[in-house]
Amino acid sequence: MSNSQKIKTAAMFILVIFILPILSMCSKKKTFSEAENRSLAEKPEISLSAVKDKSYMNDLEAYISDHFTGRLSWIKMKSFTERMSGKDEINGVYITDERLIEKLPEPDKEEVEKSVEAINHFAELYDTKVYFLLAPTSAGIYRDKISKLASQEDQKSFIGSVYSRLSENVTPIDVYDTMYSARDKYIYYRNDHHWTSLGAYKAYAYAIEKLGLRAVDYSKYSVEHASSDFKGTFYSKCLYNGIKPDVIDIYSYDEGSHVTGVNMNDGTKESHAGDIYFREYLKTNDKYCVFLGRNQAYMNIKTNVRNDKKILVIKDSYANSFVPFLTQNYSEISVIDLRYVKNSIKDFANPNDYDQVLFLYNASTFSTDQNVKVAGF
Amino acid sequence: MVFSSITFLYYFLPAVLLIYYISPKQFKNMIMLLAGLFFYAWGEPVYVLLMLFSTLVDYMAGRVIDRHDDNPGMRRVALICSLAINIGLLGVFKYSSFIAGIFGAEVKPLPLPIGISFYTFQSMSYTIDLYRRQIKVQKSFINFATYVSLFPQIVAGPIVRYEDVQNEINSRKINGLLLGEGAGIFITGLAKKVLIANNIGMLWTEIKALDYGSISMLTAWLGILAFTFQIYFDFSGYSDMAIGLGKMLGFNFPKNFDHPYISRSISEFWRRWHITLGSWFKNYVYISLGGNRRGKGKTLRNLLIVWALTGLWHGASWNFVLWGLYFGVIIVIERVWLGKKLENLRPCVSIFYTFVLVVLGWVLFDTNTLSDAAGFYKAMFFGTGKIVDKFALYQLKSYAIMFLICIAASGEFAVKCMAKWRKNKKQSRLISNIGPLVQCGEFLLCTAYLVDASYNPFLYFRF
Repeated sequence: MSNSQKIKTAAMFILVIFILPILSMCSKKKTFSEAENRSLAEKPEISLSAVKDKSYMNDLEAYISDHFTGRLSWIKMKSFTERMSGKDEINGVYITDERLIEKLPEPDKEEVEKSVEAINHFAELYDTKVYFLLAPTSAGIYRDKISKLASQEDQKSFIGSVYSRLSENVTPIDVYDTMYSARDKYIYYRNDHHWTSLGAYKAYAYAIEKLGLRAVDYSKYSVEHASSDFKGTFYSKCLYNGIKPDVIDIYSYDEGSHVTGVNMNDGTKESHAGDIYFREYLKTNDKYCVFLGRNQAYMNIKTNVRNDKKILVIKDSYANSFVPFLTQNYSEISVIDLRYVKNSIKDFANPNDYDQVLFLYNASTFSTDQNVKVAGF
Repeated sequence: MVFSSITFLYYFLPAVLLIYYISPKQFKNMIMLLAGLFFYAWGEPVYVLLMLFSTLVDYMAGRVIDRHDDNPGMRRVALICSLAINIGLLGVFKYSSFIAGIFGAEVKPLPLPIGISFYTFQSMSYTIDLYRRQIKVQKSFINFATYVSLFPQIVAGPIVRYEDVQNEINSRKINGLLLGEGAGIFITGLAKKVLIANNIGMLWTEIKALDYGSISMLTAWLGILAFTFQIYFDFSGYSDMAIGLGKMLGFNFPKNFDHPYISRSISEFWRRWHITLGSWFKNYVYISLGGNRRGKGKTLRNLLIVWALTGLWHGASWNFVLWGLYFGVIIVIERVWLGKKLENLRPCVSIFYTFVLVVLGWVLFDTNTLSDAAGFYKAMFFGTGKIVDKFALYQLKSYAIMFLICIAASGEFAVKCMAKWRKNKKQSRLISNIGPLVQCGEFLLCTAYLVDASYNPFLYFRF
């Protein structure tokens, strides 16, 4: 190294190691990270026991990293470099030319078994007719785009094996082939793990016939592009900007029936709404919450359909964009999310009061979620 | 605290440098000592006392050896006390479970205090050299403790012998040129660790966790090659960072790695890999046992002892002992027969020979048990019946660029190019302008990777 290079390197090094921490200390502290959807670490309090077990050091390091200046830009820079170096997997999300696809967690065989038993038990407990729709995720439908996924269990066979263990009281609704044949259409978000409104419509059109009713013809809907810059959960994980942002569509059928009232209970308190669309979420990061809002244990939707048909949907978030289609076919729809049900479904609704019960989960949640067993309580 | 963390790079280091540079000369060692203790206690808030205890023992042993210069008995007692306590500490914390295992007893392994294998070896070098009358005694406890707790190298070496820094401990030069030189070496080391080792290491982590009975040959080779590069860039990166930090503070630590993967024999590999450990064992074990001056039989015995211990130093398990002996045996073979032949071979052949043997060695080194190692060897040599599979091809595609970078950075190519360009005045000026910018880029990219480690999306809207 020549002397002039040494001096320049010294100056550069000193500038960087002093300026970045000063900027970090001076900048306004954020308490919440939108992109990660979590609270950022708080400054820990020092105490002898916290020093002894090193929790103070660990917490302080977490605090320092969480509040480092320009944090998200650094992460994007890393994400970009990884991509340039030939990697197509970042934080568990695969990048393909047109979409992000999530690496699926390995199904927990025992938990899946317990969930299936819970649904079978549920069908025995109540007289109502029970249906089960286990939806494939984009990892299942676009599996061939990622060579590495080839070693994972194929979702079609996962769904098939779950269905084969259902008792005769439960009617499976298998939408895999329907979804697969529409794979060239915009049926899954590119940057989020949910299906799009179109994807949900395809599943609805197939499922409603199995439920013994007629689907509303696609041509009758008018489609509103409610947002065209949606970047969901997959994006949050990898912060990769190379994929086109998603469009959130709201389907409406003006000549059809309408929602007359919505009651909700988040597990602690009740509330009311006039509509099933919560447009305020279109301005936030969780734009998907425009469908049915955020996290309710129980939701009851009344419509002006005059057939007195009532359906109870027990579900994960895939149902949120699916349920709006049901409002054309049922005069009352109740929706239960078991993750927020502490004791029993009966705290909110008695399944015997309904004509039909539909379990709706996606393959990813169903293979890991441990709350489905609450259905059997 | 590790060097590759935001806390170290952007809080600890600037604070220490600032205080260290502006304080007057007579306080600099005190500041280094406090910084070293703080640094160590950050990772070991309790065991820092153990390190201080070991330091105190060696300091006092040194004073006794010095004071009783004409009393060989006293000198010997002091030396033995120092050795017994250091080796005893290592034995208790690192090897108790392993030794108990040999005798069929089960002892839960104690948590290993950070850097204990390094600082005990360092301070033993002081008492042994003093006993051999090769160095002068250190009368100031602060100076001696500063030497033991030098934060740049306390955690992962290089193993700096007291002899290496005895003058600099008492008085050393500090200036902008050394700061720049040190910063350059430090950033190179950081990039080796964060950008290369951590990335290629992810491949090995993934492959290591697979069932060796069902992986393809290509997968096995990719995995162990990934580890081969990971351990080199991780370890030599850490040594570079230590050497760079040393320079910033005015110390010249010995070189620890010298492009080991282009060695033309295993003997040469060990002169280029973890140099300070090799010379420690040579100096204090091999030579103490009589080296090669007591006949062929004794030489052979001494070599095998040294290599078994070298293996054992890396960790308390039979895998490590075997790994050490593996190299010991090869080195003996090279001494008596193969060495001459290797010299006459074309470099690419002898480099290939050395590299393959080293890679095979890493299997023993980084699999957990001997049966795991056996299973892995089997997979490497077509034992599973599969040569390639989709998984291996996918990984090859994902990591191809990374492997190329690893290969390029392992050789002397870049160093030689730089040296050649420097001879030309114009190019030399260009390098002195562009070099710092490139290093700034490396440093910022490392920062990005370190910040990302804290990125933890909590997708509670992932219902």
